Amino acid sequence: MLAELGLVALTLALAGALYAIVACLYSARTGEQRLLQSGRNAALLTCPALLLATGALVVALLTEQYQLRYVYQVTDPGTPPLYRFTALWGAQRGSLLFWSLLMSGFICGAIALNWRGERRLMPVCIPVMMASLAFFLGLSLFIENPFERWWILIDAPVEEQVVSRALIPPRAVPPTEANLRAGAEGMNPLLRHFGMVIHPPMLYLGFVGFTIPFAFAVAALASGDLSNSWIRATRRWTLIAWLFLSLGLILGGRWAYDVLGWGGYWGWDPVENAAFLPWLVGTAFIHSVMIQEKRGMLKLWNMLLVIAAFSAVMFGTFATRSGVIDSVHSFARSEVGFPMLAFWAAMTLLALSLLAWRWRGGALRDERQFASLLSRESLFVLNNVIFIALFVAIFWGSFGLPIASELFLSKEVTIGAQTFEFYVVPLFIAMYMLMGVAPLAAWGGMTVARLGGMLRIPLLLTALGVAGLAVGGTDLLVAALGYGVVMFAAIVALCEIARGVAARRQTLGEGPLRALLALFGRNQRRYGGYMVHLGVTVIGIGVIGSTIFQTEAQHTLNRGETVVIQDYALRYEDFVRAQAVDGRLMNIASLVLLRHGDEVARIRPRIDDYPQLPMSIAGAHSTLENDFYVLLIRGDRQRATFRIYINPLVNLVWWGGLLLILGTAIAAYPKGRR
Amino acid sequence: MAQASWEKPKHPLKRKRSQRAQFITAGVVILVSLLYLLVSGTLQGARYFITVAEVLDDPAHRGRTLRVAGAVDGESIDYDSEEAVIRFDIVHIPSQYDDLAQALRDALEDANAPRMNIIVEDAAIPDLLQHEAQAILTGALEGDGIFHATELLLKCPSRFEESSPPEGLGQLPEHS
Repeated sequence: MLAELGLVALTLALAGALYAIVACLYSARTGEQRLLQSGRNAALLTCPALLLATGALVVALLTEQYQLRYVYQVTDPGTPPLYRFTALWGAQRGSLLFWSLLMSGFICGAIALNWRGERRLMPVCIPVMMASLAFFLGLSLFIENPFERWWILIDAPVEEQVVSRALIPPRAVPPTEANLRAGAEGMNPLLRHFGMVIHPPMLYLGFVGFTIPFAFAVAALASGDLSNSWIRATRRWTLIAWLFLSLGLILGGRWAYDVLGWGGYWGWDPVENAAFLPWLVGTAFIHSVMIQEKRGMLKLWNMLLVIAAFSAVMFGTFATRSGVIDSVHSFARSEVGFPMLAFWAAMTLLALSLLAWRWRGGALRDERQFASLLSRESLFVLNNVIFIALFVAIFWGSFGLPIASELFLSKEVTIGAQTFEFYVVPLFIAMYMLMGVAPLAAWGGMTVARLGGMLRIPLLLTALGVAGLAVGGTDLLVAALGYGVVMFAAIVALCEIARGVAARRQTLGEGPLRALLALFGRNQRRYGGYMVHLGVTVIGIGVIGSTIFQTEAQHTLNRGETVVIQDYALRYEDFVRAQAVDGRLMNIASLVLLRHGDEVARIRPRIDDYPQLPMSIAGAHSTLENDFYVLLIRGDRQRATFRIYINPLVNLVWWGGLLLILGTAIAAYPKGRR
Repeated sequence: MAQASWEKPKHPLKRKRSQRAQFITAGVVILVSLLYLLVSGTLQGARYFITVAEVLDDPAHRGRTLRVAGAVDGESIDYDSEEAVIRFDIVHIPSQYDDLAQALRDALEDANAPRMNIIVEDAAIPDLLQHEAQAILTGALEGDGIFHATELLLKCPSRFEESSPPEGLGQLPEHS
């Protein structure tokens, strides 16, 4: 019953999306408003239909309907309820359905909120959004159907008797409940983590969110309405997508840190990189869109960035879901690869063709020209160049080089994490320096002397900070310089906030807190942006500390024995085996962490034995100063081996991420009518 | 009475040209720097991704940093926890396959398939290092005939989703 319900709802959603495309395009040609409204209503129908389909799958997962191939594949009778729910996005079929639901939610939100303001763009905007949705719904219905069920064909030869079909085949019976329960495969242990609850949904929201700005851009190109109106409509949607994508990336890093057990959070894996690429383009757009709004410049460039962001999302989705890329994160090899590649190419080509057409017609001509290299707009362009350079370098290393070498050398050539670091470190240094200088530059241009004057105090404070680090014991010149560059960007952001507060206090006589709140409330974009910059600098400090100063050691300890690492002492206390409620056996080591002779924490790393594989769960003592991170390698009550990492400042990566998200939320929060 | 002074401004066309030259120079400098970064990084860090058979058959590959993929033989896994050294064997799998799980299984069942000893030093043993996992290693085949890996990537087991129907479901219910 649930499978039938899901199938009908999924089909209804696809029909709604297809009808919306036809109706809206026809209304674009004829100008018939009733047809446009009808198309809009059909588009809005996709969301409840997909809620119903997803709900049916969730109920099937929660109520252990193992005849559904998807439920059989990702859960078993021992799977706890929370992970039964998260199993919705635990493998290809369910996650594609979930992806479509999120996309349709975003689309309905965009239609509802922009219907009045951007109505003239809707006849093209809705079909573009619906085409993207219809494509993913088509994948769900025809290639990776989450409602397929196991059937036994009575008349078929034994080896061909078991099949999975969405519709009931003739002369077929379902397998027995006992066989289904006994054979259910269960969830990959790597996915049984709290990160699984929130990381994929956030990442998906970030990905699907870029569909909205893309649709508005294509609609503006197709309709010829290339005023700044489409930019205003899409800027907030881009910020929202960017917020979720940032959150997804940060949570993914945290998950890797907790689960993959190598003491790191970013491995330059192709799938990680595929998620980072749209983020880079989105960041470039968020900056350059300001130049179009303020100065009427970079119209062509902004269009290109919006198209590139969507294209990067589609390419990343293809890379992750086709299974053609070697990665720890990718899905199993799937038939969705070729259709995804074709869809990616078609949408990108369509948008680029429209762009070329409008450009040749002169509709994307800038209203002003760059007057000086030392202007805010020029520095923002330089910022864009850096983000695009990062994009090119990471794309080249992850996909370009392997594909090109395969084509021209008939051998795949790849690069490792060290080469990625070689590419990106100079570019990140340039990015941080620009983060410090660009906000101080004036629109239109300014003299070197004036800019120098504005930079004097931040540079002085940075120099004092670096000197403080040197006195405090940072003996590595590279690290001190790295901290210096990052600190400079942070100090500029703080100085700008302080300047704004001081100005309000002077002119309006407000108290410091009231002035600060009013500052953020009055100019959300600017000061939300500064908070994002602060978040990025805090992340930068965390990355430098945890990368350059990480300590790694492995020790085998007898029970009661202590090992000294830096100014810590770690004593092996005990080892117990226990059974969890879901049946897995846990091997738990107990250690005492001492610092300067005082106990600071009890750490309990463990190994969980799942039927598929063991899972090492690190034990950690976390402070703002560092993480004392311990993995149990093997052991018993008498003797155990531990891998120990001291990761200085690593928690700043997460705290900086939080600041970044908060700043973006402030910048994106809709302003009330005043 | 103050005298008004007037200075002839620089020729606007000349100023425009000089600004354009500045922008072009800046653009060229950035482009050349980026190209240098990409080319030099790629030349230093590029590794050929090849199969076990190719590594063993071609003496030219000896001592070169390579990336190689193979099926992990679970019985050969040995971990020296005191020295933090992992030793195991990988077996050749073809570079092209339709079903990874099947390719890994076939490789390990073939007694004549080329196999290579692997050593990974100063490493914790990964949870995913299991029989029939796919190992992707970066390192070099040294004179001792052992592949010394500096990087070990193992395919997530979720990749081993069954593409063929599971066994055991096929028993017909009694009433049918």
